[in-house]
Amino acid sequence: MTQTAIRVDRLEKQLGTNKVLRGISFEARSGEIFGLLGPNGAGKTTTLRIICTLLAPDAGSVEVLGFETRTTPQEVRRRVGVVTAEIGVYPRLTARENIAYFAELTGVDGQVDSRVDAVVDRLDMASFANQRAESLSSGQKQKVAIARAIVHDPPVLMFDEPTSNLDVLASREIREFMVESRGRGKCVIFSTHVLHDAERLCDRVTIIHQGQVVASGTTGEVRGKQEDLEDAFLSLVEAAT
Amino acid sequence: MSSTAIVFRKELREILRDRRTLVAIALAALATPIVLFVIAQVSTKTASSVYTVGYSGQIPAGLDVLFNATGLKLVEIADPAGAAKHQVDLGVVFTAKGVDEYYDPTRQSAQLADVRFQTILSRYDAAKVAASLQQQGVDPSVLNPLPVSVHPLSSPAQAAGNSFLSFFLPYILITMSLTGGLSAALDTSAGERERKTLESLLLTPAPRSQVLIGKILAVSVISLAAALAAIASMLIALTQIRFGEAGGTFPVHLSTAAAAVMVWLAILLAASFSSVTITLGTLARSFRQGQAYATPLYFITIFPASIVLFIPDFNPNLAYYLIPILNAVLVLRDAIVHGTVDWLSLVVTSVSLALTGGLCFFLALKLFTREALLIRS
Repeated sequence: MTQTAIRVDRLEKQLGTNKVLRGISFEARSGEIFGLLGPNGAGKTTTLRIICTLLAPDAGSVEVLGFETRTTPQEVRRRVGVVTAEIGVYPRLTARENIAYFAELTGVDGQVDSRVDAVVDRLDMASFANQRAESLSSGQKQKVAIARAIVHDPPVLMFDEPTSNLDVLASREIREFMVESRGRGKCVIFSTHVLHDAERLCDRVTIIHQGQVVASGTTGEVRGKQEDLEDAFLSLVEAAT
Repeated sequence: MSSTAIVFRKELREILRDRRTLVAIALAALATPIVLFVIAQVSTKTASSVYTVGYSGQIPAGLDVLFNATGLKLVEIADPAGAAKHQVDLGVVFTAKGVDEYYDPTRQSAQLADVRFQTILSRYDAAKVAASLQQQGVDPSVLNPLPVSVHPLSSPAQAAGNSFLSFFLPYILITMSLTGGLSAALDTSAGERERKTLESLLLTPAPRSQVLIGKILAVSVISLAAALAAIASMLIALTQIRFGEAGGTFPVHLSTAAAAVMVWLAILLAASFSSVTITLGTLARSFRQGQAYATPLYFITIFPASIVLFIPDFNPNLAYYLIPILNAVLVLRDAIVHGTVDWLSLVVTSVSLALTGGLCFFLALKLFTREALLIRS
C-alpha cells in the first residue's frame, strides 16, 4: 500500500471578508498524480499555499509526510517543491545560477553543482543553462522554475495551473515531467481547471467548489456514468450551486 | 553556508549586474567633481571679469588708475543713470559735490561692479585724506588711534576649508548613502513581488529573518560604496581643481579622527537607510510604487544638512543627537571643524542610528512574514 504523503483535514481559511475554504479534506499519496480541480476562485491555490506553509489555516490541519504545517513549517518546506503559472525568475542571473540559489537555500550542501547539473540534464536545459534568465523564452523560464522546485529532490511536488501561460509544446513537456515524477515515487499534486489534462494524468481527483469538496475519488469514480470528467464536473458543480 | 550569506552573495551579484545601480554609483563618484569644476570655472570667471562703468563728468585725478587696476572699464556716456539699466553694469556721474552712482541690484554683474566701485572709493578717500594730512604735517596714523594686529590661531584659509567641508561632507555622505543603494533596495524588495519571485523565495526553508539580513547587508555594501566613492572623489577633486583668479586649490585637511568618524557614520547610515528603504520596498507592490514611497526621504535627508549651512553655530544639547541623520551631520561637522571627537555625542548618535536601523529591520521582518504580503501581490 502506498504511503499517505499529504493529509488535509477540515481546512478552513478566510481572506479578508471572503471565506475561501469551508472544511476541505483529502489525502494524496506517494507515487500518484492527485488532481485538485475546480473553477477559478474555488480555493485551489489557497489550499496549495496552506499545504506549502505560505498561509496558515484558520481551522483544520495539514500534514506533509508526517510533519504538521503549523508546528514544523521548515520541515514541510524541505519536502515540497512548487511550480506555479507565474514564472518568476531572477533576470540578471543565469538559469544555472537561479537553480543553484534555490538549491543552496533548501539546504543542498556540498553537492549543489552536481544537483544543478542533474536537473539541467533531466530537463534538457544544457543549451541555455548559462544564459541570463532575462533572455530566455517562456518555456525555458518555466523549465528554470521547475528545476528550482525539484533541485532539492522533494518527495512532494505541487503544480498550480502550470501550463496556463505556456504553448502546446512546453505544456506537453510539463505533463510528461509529472508522469515521470510519479514513476519516481513522488506525490504529485496537480491543480488545474483544465479537466482534459486532469482526466489524462490524474490517478485520483478532488473537486472543489466554493471552498468545499464536492467529489473525491479515482478519476473513474468521479466521472461515474458521465461521458467524461468535464461533464461530471459540470453536473457536480451545478448540483452544489 | 548560512542563508544570510547565500542571499547576500546572490543579491550582490544581481546588484552588480544592474545598470541602474552601477550608473547611480558612477554618478555619485562623478557628480561632485563635476559640480566643483563648474563652481571653480564660475568663480574664476567672476574674479577675472571686467565690468563696464558708464560715466559722465570729470574723473578725479588718480581715480582712473584704480578703476583699471580693479577690473572696471570706464566708458564715457551721456546718460549714466539710463545706461545702468541695460547698457553698462554701473552708471556714475562725477559732480563738483561728489559722485552719483546708479546700478540695478537685480543684476548680479551690477552688484559685483558696485562692490568693486565701493572698494575703489574707500581706497581713494583714504589715500586723499592721508596725503592731505601729510601736507599739513599731521601723521596720517592719527586716523587710526587703535591699531589692531590680528593673529589667527589657525589658518583662515583652513578654517574656510573646514567650514566648507563641514557642510558638504555630511551632505554628500547622507544623500549618497540613501540614493546609492535605493535602486538596489527597491529591486530586492518590491522587485521580488513585481517579477513574482517572492513566493518561491518564501517557499524555501531559509528563515525569513536571515533572508532579510542578507538583503540588507548587500544593499548596505552598495550604499557604503556609493557614499565613500562620492566623498573620495570630492576630496580628490578639491585638491586638484583650482579656484578663483589666483588659481589656488582648496585647503582640504581631514583629520584622522574626522575620517574615522566619517567611515563609522557611513556604515551606520548605510545600514539604517538600507533597512528603511527595504521596509518601504516591502510595503510597495512594484518598483515604481517603492520609488514613490521613498521620495519623502530625500527631503528628510537634505533638511539636517541644511541646518548646518544656514545656522553654522548651531550647538544643540545632547538630546538633539538622538534625532537620526541630524545627529550624524552634527557629529561629523564637529569632527571636521575641531578635529576631535566628542565621544558622548558619538555614542548617542551610534545608538540612535542603530536603533533606527533595528526598528526598521523588525518592521520589514513583520511585513515579510505577513500573509498579506502574498495575498496583495
